[in-house]
Amino acid sequence: MEIERPRSLDGALAALAAHPGADLLAGGTDLMVEINFGRKRPEHLIVVQPLAELRDLDRNGAVRVGAGVTYTRLLAEGGGSFAAVREMARTVGSPQIRNAGTVGGNLGTSSPAGDALPVLAAFDATVVLRSRRGERRIPFADYMTGPKRNARAPDEIVVAAEWRDPGPAQTFLKVGTRNAMVIAVASLCLVVERARKSVRVALGSCGPTILRAGEAERFAEELIDESGWDEPLDVSEAAAARFGELVAAAARPIDDVRGSARYRRHVLGVMARRALERVGSVVA
Amino acid sequence: MPSARVVKNRTEFEGKIYEELALVQGADIPAWSADAELRHVGRSRLRVDGPQRVSGRARYTTDLMLPGMLHARVVRSPHPHARVIRVDAKRALALAGVRSVVDRTSAPELFDEEVHYVGAPVAVVVGETEEIAADAAHLVEIEYESLPFVVDLEEAIADRTRVQRKESYSRGDARRGFREADIVVDARYTTSTQLHNCLEPHGAVAQWDGERLTLWESTQAMFDVRKGVAKAIRARLDDVRVICDYMGGGFGSKLGHGHYSEIAAVLAKRLGRPIRCVMDRREENLVTGNRSATVQRVRVGATKDGKLTALEHVAWSGTGTEDGWVASTTGPSNGLYEVANVRSEQFLVLTNTGPFSAFRAPGYVEGTFALESAMDELADKLALDPLALRRKNYAKLDPQSGKHYSLKRLDQCYSRGAELAGWSRRKAGGTAGRHAYLRRGMGVSTQVWGGGGGPPAYATIHLNADGTAIVRAGLQDIGSGTKTAIAQIAAEELSLPLERVRLSIGETDAPYGPASGGSMTTASLGPAVRLAAVDVRRQLLEVAAGLMEVRASEIHLTDGHAVAGRGGKKLALDEVFSKLQNYTVIGRGSRHPNPEDVRLRSFGAHFAEVEVDIRTGAVRVLKIVAVHQIGRIVNPLNAKSQVEGGVTQALGYAVSEGRVLDRLSGHVMNANLEDYKIPTVKDVPDIVVEFVPDLDRRANNLGGIGLGEPPIIPTAAAIANAVANACGARVRTLPITPARVLEALRR
Ligand SMILES: Cc1cc2nc3c(=O)[nH]c(=O)nc-3n(C[C@H](O)[C@H](O)[C@H](O)COP(=O)(O)OP(=O)(O)OC[C@H]3O[C@@H](n4cnc5c(N)ncnc54)[C@H](O)[C@@H]3O)c2cc1C
Repeated sequence: MEIERPRSLDGALAALAAHPGADLLAGGTDLMVEINFGRKRPEHLIVVQPLAELRDLDRNGAVRVGAGVTYTRLLAEGGGSFAAVREMARTVGSPQIRNAGTVGGNLGTSSPAGDALPVLAAFDATVVLRSRRGERRIPFADYMTGPKRNARAPDEIVVAAEWRDPGPAQTFLKVGTRNAMVIAVASLCLVVERARKSVRVALGSCGPTILRAGEAERFAEELIDESGWDEPLDVSEAAAARFGELVAAAARPIDDVRGSARYRRHVLGVMARRALERVGSVVA
Repeated sequence: MPSARVVKNRTEFEGKIYEELALVQGADIPAWSADAELRHVGRSRLRVDGPQRVSGRARYTTDLMLPGMLHARVVRSPHPHARVIRVDAKRALALAGVRSVVDRTSAPELFDEEVHYVGAPVAVVVGETEEIAADAAHLVEIEYESLPFVVDLEEAIADRTRVQRKESYSRGDARRGFREADIVVDARYTTSTQLHNCLEPHGAVAQWDGERLTLWESTQAMFDVRKGVAKAIRARLDDVRVICDYMGGGFGSKLGHGHYSEIAAVLAKRLGRPIRCVMDRREENLVTGNRSATVQRVRVGATKDGKLTALEHVAWSGTGTEDGWVASTTGPSNGLYEVANVRSEQFLVLTNTGPFSAFRAPGYVEGTFALESAMDELADKLALDPLALRRKNYAKLDPQSGKHYSLKRLDQCYSRGAELAGWSRRKAGGTAGRHAYLRRGMGVSTQVWGGGGGPPAYATIHLNADGTAIVRAGLQDIGSGTKTAIAQIAAEELSLPLERVRLSIGETDAPYGPASGGSMTTASLGPAVRLAAVDVRRQLLEVAAGLMEVRASEIHLTDGHAVAGRGGKKLALDEVFSKLQNYTVIGRGSRHPNPEDVRLRSFGAHFAEVEVDIRTGAVRVLKIVAVHQIGRIVNPLNAKSQVEGGVTQALGYAVSEGRVLDRLSGHVMNANLEDYKIPTVKDVPDIVVEFVPDLDRRANNLGGIGLGEPPIIPTAAAIANAVANACGARVRTLPITPARVLEALRR
């Protein structure tokens, strides 16, 4: 195994151009597990973890989170417009994993259970990719194409995720089989972007990729249309139940060691209702 | 020299009673009285080996690196049942650094022709490094002929050829008892396979010197390893020396030698170099033992006022490929309550899965879940407080033998536990939580266990010329802190500061000591150590008496001084030591038999408080109160840790742990710590621990028995009962997953 430690992003891009498809090592919390379990034997490894160019965390105007930003750093960010991000980061692994694991690594792995991904999906984030050939910006929905599959070309590095601040009406919920060090049985991120009259809900661990619950989104938008986008939403029992049903219906879950498809669908409905009740009342 | 004699002794080990002959010397002494002024025993002391353990200086078996040492890696079957047709090691042998590959043809003593579970050994690769051996293991090509298999317990129960009746018990007439009952609860409970997942994996390192074998092994029972390995390789006992310096947990899975021990011993001899054979985490989850999954049927009959009239308990335990023994799942039903009519049966069920082994209170953990759940179901039907029902059927005498207990303070465990848990806050139907969808509830459960220990166990103490002492005993400290307790006992009788007592343990050249299992280490060895120290003290007083020119009978030892009479002449022991030159005072002690006329058992009660999310089904355990009665507590800090560890392990068993098998392929789907969920620090609730202060003075000269296993026994039922109280969901299957809670709520 050859390990390269470029000093700059350009150096890394050059190395990757010379060895397209080489594995990138960020925090190593996914990659080293693969290697240690013998599921992966990279011939060429490029270490991107120390690259300063991947460490931006910019919230003036559009939000830009560098690929090398760790969960610990996300947790330290304040403000309502990062509420779901913090809620998400808090559920990841343990302090050690949060210190090492990065957003870029979560995007690189593209697991349907990756916790950062439903947040990026609900935030309508753009994934910024760079190669020697230049920069590509693709919507998250087009980035992740399947379980552990994405649109990244073999010579590209994810440099950041960017999104427009959707305001404080946002929340992330996750169900696992214990309270820490746990991969999601199901997760959900809900954003009510009042300024644009848009509701977005994204589901994790419930299908081959991160799913958006379009019908549920439309339903909630209509609800808020009625009550007013500047007003807190008082969700009726019936409306909450309907929203939950629509979210559950959008899932395409499977049975696995962590949980059954049936339970996943059920708990998504519960999380959706709670998320709407929690977020509906938040007005900037 | 004290004379030796042979005694017959009854020892309760892992839920069963064994009668053995043992050799003891001299006479025993009475236990310390309640008002004895003790300076070490009964006080919290930090671990004597704590600094070594936390600084990384402690050397465990897996850390051992001997010059020239080779690494053995086992190639394991991917099939649950198959015949090995051919093993082709050509590609493996071609890898640089591979020294040897053996299979059934080249080492018939190590392998079988048929494999009976996924993970069964088929070949072993020996390499210069662990990595080379692991790589080469992938290169061994094996041809199998697949054979039919069953991994599912229920499926196996339906197949008569896989079921053996192993134990049955009855007293009175159960049928008549049920006829007399006003109310009968008849319920079926199932529990999952729990994995030990010790921090330190199983493994051994073997080194030969001529005909002599030294075996470093992570074990709870060095002497059993010695016996087993000596037999396997046809060596004499004195040619096999087993060493276990530090150890990272066993929980019953390291009570004898392993296949790895034989691999290391046999191949080290063949290749003329030391061999290390240590399991990885996957192997820990597949081949090193587990707690049997069970299917249990419990029927309890009672009169309207809650007096039990009959109890019937039938248990089927999946033992994997182990067809020798099965744990006593029905033990608690046989012995906990005063009920005249009891019938129980214990079946062993063979499946094509890794063999089960002892696991911290084997059987009793599974059986108590069923029995104590059923007791609450009965209390519900009778509209009785669950604690009142238990008190109503309290056994003052041992229901099995009719004997008195040496000590039974379960009633105090109940009342003190209820106080600490705030049991008076408990309401039938539970109480409200912060949100409408959160419900809170409380539950209680009881434990009964042995742990009295017994002979044989021996110790010697050498007192050095500078007033330091070395306790020598065939003891291994599996991480429970036995070493510290033993040092405290010796320091007490020697009247020495704790830091002057060193332990020389962890190897079989020492006098015989018991296995660290069955909650009996301290209760077995501690009394022998105490007698050895008393023997030293007697000799020391004789020396001091000579120096002080008084009679030995006139002086006693206190606080590092020999004192003549009350307020008489005083001589510092240090002075005695300095007057003498090179000498060793040698004291000897042995464990005396248990009393015949009483039954030694420990009792305890756990109270759980939980919060249930009735929408997601998630259970949060908020608090566990644990009150136990074991008599003398040698080291309260250690004892508390022991209870916290037991509760934590039980919590996993109750809500998150369980091996997942794929019925069709026979594979274990969660043979790793990512998918097999032991509790994390964030899952562990507030744990409140107390002990009943009364001493068990009949038990032995310490006045106390063991605590290793009791704290894991009652927790799961207490949690299940609390969940049922919170929201009406009676979950009869462990672990209590959210999906199962929802299912129970729908019923
Ligand atoms: C004990 C444990 C607990 C965990 N818990 C969680 C959890 O709760 N939630 C969760 O979502 N995940 C969890 N994970 C998985 C992991 O921590 C996350 O997916 C993390 O985000 C990975 O980041 P990393 O920097 O460590 O990635 P690495 O392991 O370094 O890389 C992962 C993959 O991404 C690629 N990659 C890395 N950086 C880039 C880049 N800039 N551009 C393109 N590709 C890149 C790598 O080539 C590799 O294929 C856990 C892992 C462990 C070991």
